[in-house]
Amino acid sequence: MNAPLGSWRDAPDDAVLLAYANGDEEAARVLSLRFVPRVLAQSTRMLADQAEAEDVAQEAMMKLWKIAPAWRQGEAQVSTWLYRVVANLCTDRLRKRRGMSLDEIAEPADPQMSATAQMQEISRLVALANALAQLPERQAQAVSLRHLEGLTNPEIAQIMDISVRSVESLTARGKRALADILAGRKAELGYEDDEI
Amino acid sequence: MTKSEDQMLEDIFALGRDTALVPSDALMARILGDAAAAHTVAPAPKRSLWAGVLDMLGGWPAVGGLAVAGVTGVWFGIAPPASVTTLTADLIGSSITVDLLDDAGTYFSETSLDG
Repeated sequence: MNAPLGSWRDAPDDAVLLAYANGDEEAARVLSLRFVPRVLAQSTRMLADQAEAEDVAQEAMMKLWKIAPAWRQGEAQVSTWLYRVVANLCTDRLRKRRGMSLDEIAEPADPQMSATAQMQEISRLVALANALAQLPERQAQAVSLRHLEGLTNPEIAQIMDISVRSVESLTARGKRALADILAGRKAELGYEDDEI
Repeated sequence: MTKSEDQMLEDIFALGRDTALVPSDALMARILGDAAAAHTVAPAPKRSLWAGVLDMLGGWPAVGGLAVAGVTGVWFGIAPPASVTTLTADLIGSSITVDLLDDAGTYFSETSLDG
């Protein structure tokens, strides 16, 4: 895939989105190069399933294409909006996992990870995603944005449209709940008390 | 949450943060295909009839002015200020009352209706 045209390189996201809305196909490529890697990373971290994560990335970008003609310049950041959309799409999918047993949830098939040692890492990520699925959706979103995306509390507050205090409360409760859920799987996930 | 559980969580979070998949060419092609398709079917922004009328009149400030003028006109009709009455009298002379139905009784009396 070619590098984006120089004319768009320094343009703000909403300006490129406006260009796309006005029929500029190249703008779509620029936006995809800017956002798809991050969108895919966020959905992969939350879902630990490559196929589902790709579906979410495609769905989120589709929402961006559709909203482009109505986008209000300067009112919201495209990146903030996408964080929210991906978090919502992921929690929708995690909700559907709640009724499933762990055996029914497919292990991710990732050709980039083949060694046995890496299988342990995969099972830990899947365990985290399945534990996130057990949390209330707002808690799962706040925890993932804080601890998986590494965002600050004010950034999360803006994305979730809540106060910083609420973010602190959601992440604290969510993290505690995750620890409770995963506590029983320590040995299975390769964590022994003397190891950590 | 014990210290070891907290450390286990931090370890898994760090593992997640290190996860970075490079989007495949196939995924990028699907997404760009969606972008092109969304272009071709993007509907024109819907405008309501009311929004059109509003623009025709000059927007909300103009409509506000019209409303104030309308209400003022109605009020003057009900209770004209003395200055308006005086001005009217000065311009068109003293008011004359004309009873348009003065002879109505002749036509609509019981006898004339019965023939």
